[in-house]
Amino acid sequence: MTIAILSGLLVGILFGFALQRGRFCMNSAIRDTILLQDTTLLKGVFVAILVAMFGFGVMALGGLIKFSPTPLFWGANLVGGIVFGVGMVLAGGCASGITYRVGEGMVGALSALIGLATAGTLTAMGFLAPIKNALQTNTKIMVGEANPTLANIFGLPTDVVAIILAIVLAIVWFVIARKNREDSEPTSGSMVTRIFKKGWTWLPAGIVIGLINMLAFYLSTLAGRSYPLAITSGWIGIVKVIFAVPDSKLGWDAFLVIGIIVGAFIAAMIASEFKIRWPGWKMVVQTLIGGLLMGFGAVTSAGCNVTHILSGLPQLGLGSLLGAISIVIGAWLAAYVIFVRRQKA
Amino acid sequence: MTETVKTTKSLDVCGKICPYPDMDTMTTLKKMNKGEILEVLLDYPLSVERIPRNLKKQGHRLISVEQLGGPNHRLLIEAHGLK
Repeated sequence: MTIAILSGLLVGILFGFALQRGRFCMNSAIRDTILLQDTTLLKGVFVAILVAMFGFGVMALGGLIKFSPTPLFWGANLVGGIVFGVGMVLAGGCASGITYRVGEGMVGALSALIGLATAGTLTAMGFLAPIKNALQTNTKIMVGEANPTLANIFGLPTDVVAIILAIVLAIVWFVIARKNREDSEPTSGSMVTRIFKKGWTWLPAGIVIGLINMLAFYLSTLAGRSYPLAITSGWIGIVKVIFAVPDSKLGWDAFLVIGIIVGAFIAAMIASEFKIRWPGWKMVVQTLIGGLLMGFGAVTSAGCNVTHILSGLPQLGLGSLLGAISIVIGAWLAAYVIFVRRQKA
Repeated sequence: MTETVKTTKSLDVCGKICPYPDMDTMTTLKKMNKGEILEVLLDYPLSVERIPRNLKKQGHRLISVEQLGGPNHRLLIEAHGLK
């Protein structure tokens, strides 16, 4: 049992290493499309989703894992997702982004993380819980006994549809990319330099993170948890242990998030990118507020960017699809109000 | 090589969180005349890669990226002169 839970730490270290090397932040990925007209990171996110979609499907068919899509409660997915999206723009990072940046020494990320963990816990079991409960129970939709997916609402097996959809989407993307003659990014240096010293380009970063997510799903299933990568639940678990909430103990996901910081720290040290960075009090307050919004949003929507986008979309969950769309809407709204409008003025 | 370039303005965005290094750089460049050189000091790995990637779209030209030790970098950029 202990070994199974410690596997969360191992996956976390791998994930943190890959996040730091790939500069893989989904806040940047989503926000930069409208802010800088830069789609580099977003392409990496799509790759990670497609790899996981195909991989989860194959693993489920082989009996290694069982799909566990997040619930669909449209009111909670919508409100929680939008609040989360606004929050991550203020925080300067998504849930995984602020976690790995703590390992790089960014104080702003640490204050955001404290906000996420605090508001997440208060929404899960504190004074914010009634709001979450009302939104979730009043708008919940199920397919029989199961959480709805793009496949099971039509009576189709989700794992098979996931495999087919991943292949189709990959082919469509490949054809479009070839037609547009997208340049591949130039690479230089030895293999060791490229892995440990330079930032990874979007394609390898996406593939590696997709593969780590497959490993995460398998190992967490062995540990009795049965979900791929996730962030917020791990932090809430840690808060509960710190405040000695009865029956609380560190689970697989708590070791995962601790591992992310360790992995990112190792990666940053090797690449000499670790540095304690102090952004000033104003920014620390802004990231803390952002983190608080993220914590409320993630627990209300039953998922942060990792649960919904990296792990939920590959399982074709409709709750995750709506959650993901809502996160994007919230992030774009905030990015427009905070940055784009100011830039034009 | 960098010694021969005369900088017009210097911008220090060390410590800043995402996306302020990029935004501050772009806003400053916008206010500069064509041919003027901006020096940017930064320590955020993502922006060290992202700023050079996005400069071209605004017509600015990257002169050099210099590593000053650890994550600290110095970018030299020639403004396009949108003012």
